[in-house]
Amino acid sequence: MRPSSLLALLATAIFASAAEDGAQVYNTLCVACHGPDGKGLNGLPPLVGSDWPKGPAARSIKIVLNGLTGPVDVAGKGYNIDMPPQGAVLSDEKIAAALTYIRATFAAGAGAVTPDEVKSVRAATSSRTKPWTATELLKAHPFPPAKTALKNLVGTMYKGEWKQMPDFSSLKPALMEDFNVGLVDPDQSGLKSNFAMVWTAQFEAKEDGKYIFNFDCDDFGALFVGGEKVAEIKGIAPIGGRRKEVPVMLKKGLTPIRIEYVQVGGEQVVLLGYKGPKDKGVQWLSKSKGGNAAKATPSIPIQPKDGVAAIYRNFIGGTSPRAIGIGFPNELNLAYSAENVGVELFWAGKFMDGGHHWTDRGAGNEPPAGTSVVKLSDGQAIIQDGAPSGNLVRYVAAKGGKDFVFSALPVSAEFRGYDLDKAGNPTFRTAGEGFAMTDAWAPDTAASKPTLIRTIKVTGDKAVTVVLARGTTISGPSDGVTEVGTGLLIRAQGGVYPRSSAADKTLTVTLKPGESAVLGYSYR
Amino acid sequence: MKKFSLFLALAALTSGLSAAAVIKKTDTKASEARQSEFYERVEIPTPAGEVCEVSSLALMPGKKIAIGTRRGDVWIAEGAYDADLSKIKWTKFASSLHEPLGMFWKEGSLYATNRPEFTRMTDTNGDGKADRFDTICSKWGINGDYHEYAFGSEPDKNGDVWVVLCLTGSFHAHSPWRGWCARITPDGKFVPTASGIRSPGGIGANDKGDMFYTDNQGVWNGSSSLKWLRPGSFQGNPTGNKSASLLDFPAPPEPTSGSRILTERLKFPDFVPPAVILPHAIVGNSPSGIACDMTKGKWGPWESQMFIGEQTASQVQRVNLEFVNGLYQGACFHFLGGFEAGLIPVRIDQEDGTMFIGGSNRGWGSRGTKPFTFERVRFKGKVPFEMHDISAKPDGFEVTFTHPVDAASAADLKNYAMDTFTYIYQASYGSPEVDQTAPTIKSATLSADGLKVRLVIDGLVRGHIHHLVTDVKAKSGDTLWHNEGWYTLNEIPSK
Repeated sequence: MRPSSLLALLATAIFASAAEDGAQVYNTLCVACHGPDGKGLNGLPPLVGSDWPKGPAARSIKIVLNGLTGPVDVAGKGYNIDMPPQGAVLSDEKIAAALTYIRATFAAGAGAVTPDEVKSVRAATSSRTKPWTATELLKAHPFPPAKTALKNLVGTMYKGEWKQMPDFSSLKPALMEDFNVGLVDPDQSGLKSNFAMVWTAQFEAKEDGKYIFNFDCDDFGALFVGGEKVAEIKGIAPIGGRRKEVPVMLKKGLTPIRIEYVQVGGEQVVLLGYKGPKDKGVQWLSKSKGGNAAKATPSIPIQPKDGVAAIYRNFIGGTSPRAIGIGFPNELNLAYSAENVGVELFWAGKFMDGGHHWTDRGAGNEPPAGTSVVKLSDGQAIIQDGAPSGNLVRYVAAKGGKDFVFSALPVSAEFRGYDLDKAGNPTFRTAGEGFAMTDAWAPDTAASKPTLIRTIKVTGDKAVTVVLARGTTISGPSDGVTEVGTGLLIRAQGGVYPRSSAADKTLTVTLKPGESAVLGYSYR
Repeated sequence: MKKFSLFLALAALTSGLSAAAVIKKTDTKASEARQSEFYERVEIPTPAGEVCEVSSLALMPGKKIAIGTRRGDVWIAEGAYDADLSKIKWTKFASSLHEPLGMFWKEGSLYATNRPEFTRMTDTNGDGKADRFDTICSKWGINGDYHEYAFGSEPDKNGDVWVVLCLTGSFHAHSPWRGWCARITPDGKFVPTASGIRSPGGIGANDKGDMFYTDNQGVWNGSSSLKWLRPGSFQGNPTGNKSASLLDFPAPPEPTSGSRILTERLKFPDFVPPAVILPHAIVGNSPSGIACDMTKGKWGPWESQMFIGEQTASQVQRVNLEFVNGLYQGACFHFLGGFEAGLIPVRIDQEDGTMFIGGSNRGWGSRGTKPFTFERVRFKGKVPFEMHDISAKPDGFEVTFTHPVDAASAADLKNYAMDTFTYIYQASYGSPEVDQTAPTIKSATLSADGLKVRLVIDGLVRGHIHHLVTDVKAKSGDTLWHNEGWYTLNEIPSK
């Protein structure tokens, strides 16, 4: 080796040792989730095939610095998982090296990232303390416009509650924006319920001929092509049953298209696609793609088995965090709140779906899977005559929502557990100063319609009042039957009868030691 | 190919220019390949058709073992110790606890620490299924946040169960006692015991009955670590401090962000520093369950050492502890690997010497590719050539090996390299390694029995992790199974 080339080699070597090794950073840190091949480890988001590592470096830099939280679509699949922030761990040089490696290895052609770019993004976002959301990042750094047939797509959003299509000309828009993504998406509203959107665009026909438009939405909407209403979805229902396929003859060139859409509540979806004269399949113009698009969470029904009631202890929407759900074989269900020592939810039909809590980290509440949900009460369900003996401490948000402060709620009774009989029927146990109470539930096998029998017993030396319903509509009792909420009937069948107070919107039963109450729960 | 030769050239150049030894570190894949010489790892079949994301384990009389799952089911296995695992018999004991993360058997009942409460489950009618569920204690807050986990220990010598309560979302304290450890007495009293917790992954006692937990890298945790739950202590994360006012406790420390643990803990005597730091992304990413070896050799020559599950890397790490100036400290080493999912609970049957592990990779990735796993590991009787432990001395360290060391190899200073570092103690997420130093190993002296090497070192740094790499050979010529150790030097002993 000639001296000059040895020098050159030495110089290169020293330079190489000074620069950070992106592969090493990736294979030490990022690999734990994204995998050695960038395909995502065990169901975690991939880098390969994803638009996220491509495009503006600032988007990726922000994710690495502050992390990412909440729902995110990656390579056509939905995830809801947190990426922890690495800004306090990694230097600008290390982040630049790792991203350069990722972009070169898993997002070919995305280009290198320099430490200076990282430095300037770090400075610009220094006040940011929370992880980013996908929505925030895509607003600041959108993916390249989709190449769809929708040109000059503009969305206008209106806030309000409608049961049928409003006259948009009389409404005041709440938001108007260009969506150069070329795709219609109700999430562009930024809202989840009670809004309407109107999208207008030019539809580009590549040649003369018949274009079959596919249209569906949840909740309702209409499609106009060339100024004419060609399809309408009426009523409030999920997508599927009402989908329209309409042929429209178009000339080559641009034709005005307009989509009107109203979202009341629940899922929000617009499906819009077409099949042109030379297309083999449907070309989608909406973010949602019809047919068998994979749902982010699978359905895992939880239901009674072999005549034994099902139990589900988890976060059930509509009651407190310490919830105990019981699904009986006669298709009546309840959710007991261990904080509030009472049954707070009652519903019919399907019990619960575990798909949400049992996928990924299972964040959030899961509402009952069935129908006719009645919220029976909120807050403590046992009131001891005289002063409450205990208290339940909670953090509540302080004014301004910045911090949390303690709030002590006086309570009379504490949850002590439950017994299950062979059929899985529960007896909830509670106790307080000077009393104990059992609250047993079981299907009434003799009743002509699905009924649960509730038996409440009090022992000790103090009387207690049990709240059966509070804060909902209460009609009766009449002949011992009270209607609570819409259609839930509570029938006094033995022991002490309940009493209602229209003024307080409460239905209660007061039991002295040794007394009991027997109540039948069924739907009208 | 070019890159490779360049690297070789660079290595040759640096070794020629520097006096520091360059020792090849044992590679994870290579050491996992040797594992079966010493330990037998076996997957135990879980109930057919059931999703058993094992989140807790309880050893029961009669060689039965109970698993608790993230979905909340409790199953009891008969035959999990047997050679023929195809005959294992599973019985479902209970359904739908709320993510049990700690379980044990006591006096005829299974006890589970789960998200909302500490529960006793009893089969009162002898049909093999729990029919009575007693809420022993539920005095901590939950608000519906999925990250508000509760990990529980086995009972201590007083019968108390220690519960560590993760912060809300691992960043906040939006419910009472989030970020605290509390003891639950046998009669259900809730006794807050330590503050300053972030995101635990497991809890367990050492052979002296002192309680430890693992806390994960994140805010105020530059790295994950094994921490000692000294009653009354503050563990370093001030987020949950506001709960002190609930019981008129003295306010825990309010440390300064951007400092160092040593600096802050010298200001606040209640601040107990991590006993052993598990350097982030080097010795795992997310430590979980803890088990102490009290098998008197049945698990290998590791009596009193702690074994720590690792979620991300699907490994078990090994830790030796010592008590210096009132604090625990010690070294961690890579140990077992290749498990099938992310590890959560770890238990050692102290009579029999079998280690049981359970795991899941739902929501957090793991090197093991299965969605869930239940496994057992047994020592095969052949002791690997390892650093048995590292012990701090006033002027260096003493390293004890499991087999006699070759005298020439032990005396050669080129066979040792040491560097030190620490982390920034800060309110942001994690930390880079900082304040690196390179101490000088001045001498290495082998004991008469050939098992101990006394390293005299110039430049010990109080509060730093001391990373030792050694390439000594055994007298038999064997090489080390793992050749790195990381010693957290909270205190430098005076003698």
